[in-house]
Amino acid sequence: MLSPYEMDSVIITGPNDVQEDVIKELHKLKVLHILEHSKNDLADIGKPLENASNLSEALVKIRALISALNIKKENVKFEIKRNLLDIQSTTRKLNEDVNSNSDELRKTEELIAKNKILVQELEILKGIDIPLESFTDYKSLAYFTGFIKNNINALEVDLSKLTKKFMMFNNASKKNIFIVLFIDAENKLKAKEILQKFNFLQQNFANIGNLKGNASSNLKKIEEEISKLKNEKQEIKKKLGMLTQQYGEFLIAADEFLREQLEKAEAPLKFASTKSSFLIKGWIPANELKSSIEKLNKASKNKIFVAFQPAKKNDDVPIKLNNPNYAKPFEFFIDLYSMPTYKEIDPTFFMFITYPIMFGIMLGDIGYGVVGIIFFWWLKKKMPKSTSFLNVLILASFVAIIFGFFFGELFGFEFINPVISRERDMITLMFIAIGIGVVHVNLGLIIGFANEWKSHGLMHAIYAKAGWIVLELGVAMVALSYFKIISISWMLGAAFLLISILMLLKGEGIKALLELPSIFTNIMSYIRLMAIGVSSVILALIINDSAKKAFHNGGVFVLMGVLILIIGHLINIFLGWLGSFLHSMRLHYVEFFSKFYHGGAKKYQPFGLKE
Amino acid sequence: MAVDISTGLIGLAAAIAIGSSAFAAALAEKEIGVAAVGAMAEKEELFGKGLILTVIPETIVLFGLLVAFFILNLAK
Repeated sequence: MLSPYEMDSVIITGPNDVQEDVIKELHKLKVLHILEHSKNDLADIGKPLENASNLSEALVKIRALISALNIKKENVKFEIKRNLLDIQSTTRKLNEDVNSNSDELRKTEELIAKNKILVQELEILKGIDIPLESFTDYKSLAYFTGFIKNNINALEVDLSKLTKKFMMFNNASKKNIFIVLFIDAENKLKAKEILQKFNFLQQNFANIGNLKGNASSNLKKIEEEISKLKNEKQEIKKKLGMLTQQYGEFLIAADEFLREQLEKAEAPLKFASTKSSFLIKGWIPANELKSSIEKLNKASKNKIFVAFQPAKKNDDVPIKLNNPNYAKPFEFFIDLYSMPTYKEIDPTFFMFITYPIMFGIMLGDIGYGVVGIIFFWWLKKKMPKSTSFLNVLILASFVAIIFGFFFGELFGFEFINPVISRERDMITLMFIAIGIGVVHVNLGLIIGFANEWKSHGLMHAIYAKAGWIVLELGVAMVALSYFKIISISWMLGAAFLLISILMLLKGEGIKALLELPSIFTNIMSYIRLMAIGVSSVILALIINDSAKKAFHNGGVFVLMGVLILIIGHLINIFLGWLGSFLHSMRLHYVEFFSKFYHGGAKKYQPFGLKE
Repeated sequence: MAVDISTGLIGLAAAIAIGSSAFAAALAEKEIGVAAVGAMAEKEELFGKGLILTVIPETIVLFGLLVAFFILNLAK
């Protein structure tokens, strides 16, 4: 329970002609954590099996199709013909269909976009009655199209001073006036100067091209075309959707099948190999070793040789945590942090006991706990991948309900006489929180003691871990005698302090001196057990009070009161979950783990097991 | 509810104790949080460690809370 599974290091070696059989058997057994071989003078790494390149090619195509058709990966129970050639021929045909359809889709979308720009240009020209073919190149005539702010009359006056040979059309819209000015080519530059004085903003019509007739009739035509194109787009999308429906499950099943095959085909890359033989190194849990070797021998017709030995002191052993089923969900926290080393105590079981308690104290409301259980249960159905995480939360919510009875809280209302009221007995609660801190931190020190004893001997464990406990005792004695709570001389406490400092100096070196206050800040940190809870209660009270006032006013305010209650409590519940979850996690990771945990080992990942 | 000025000042002092320590914690967490997210972008497994490092300064607020409690006790 407190230590990971025992592991044996294993070496499997045999002739190349049974390599594929061994790989298949290992993939089926799912027990061997393979150590990758790196190339050296004695042996190169193995070559992938023959069909590996075909497999990866097919896999790439299938993944491209999955992303092109926007298929969501779900657990499907679709039986495919487990045969590479079949899969390849199906994908080839599907690939052609999908490609031609997506090409067409892209072209249609481009056309729609182009026409939309054209519509914008025509909208501007709509108010001016000039045939579109007038906008062409002339020998003796120049024209300007664009916007000015206002002062159309002043502009006309200025232009007429320049020449009589001009013609101006205008169309006033919201702010700007759109003008089209035709003028003889000689005066083009001068006209431009005048226009600039009026803050002229040029507008080009690059897309009207070969259109003839006036703008509004063209506009109608183009808009009809756009709606036709949009229909086409829908058609193509429908076709793609049908392909998705028809082949979605096939693609996902094929993806899974091929990935498995490819994993097998590429396995030799992790092996050491010579011209005629291969060698696999790895780890197998001790309890599965014997049966695995038997099966491997059978699969290879006794052509392989397997050597094994238990883990040695400095081996980098992959860790497979070993916990009873009820504590298993809490391995989530270890996974998130770092795996314990092989000889270390696995703290999962302690977290199973202390984590829900701390979460419960902080949330501590019957209503919030019940909502939590219901919500996380529902979420478990939706997200089967996060089951262990959600199981932790469900258990923690259950403990929150128990503490809810203890604090007498139901959605912030005090509905029974509480053992301790979080609203009024804050100071008492604070001392309880500190008490929990003392217990938890010292539990950490005791586990640390056991760890050190195992790895560095009893004396080192006493110096490095028991030293902290002596330090706590010393400070406690000095404080208690100072406040005259117990009648001993403060000298005794001081002696304890001195001894503890010497012990820590010997055990952990000079840096322990710098760390001396840390144990007390760690214990103080548990005040958050009270603080988070109190803040959540106060928020709940505010919500309830404002709802009560609303109910008092009657009429429409009743509805408002109901809204305040629902929204307010939903927010508070969410904050409560988040705060309680993160803070109890932090208390474990920072305050608890720092007393004993080293971690940093690799996780046991047997060949063939899906992640 | 009329309170005399000295009680008001005590309340204000408690508020400053909490507020300033919360501000300090926020400043510290900001820096660590930025670095943690940066590290996570490189290596996603660092989420656990990053989270822990980010919440370490939160204890500062608790000290502020403790001091605020002591200050409020003066009012009694």
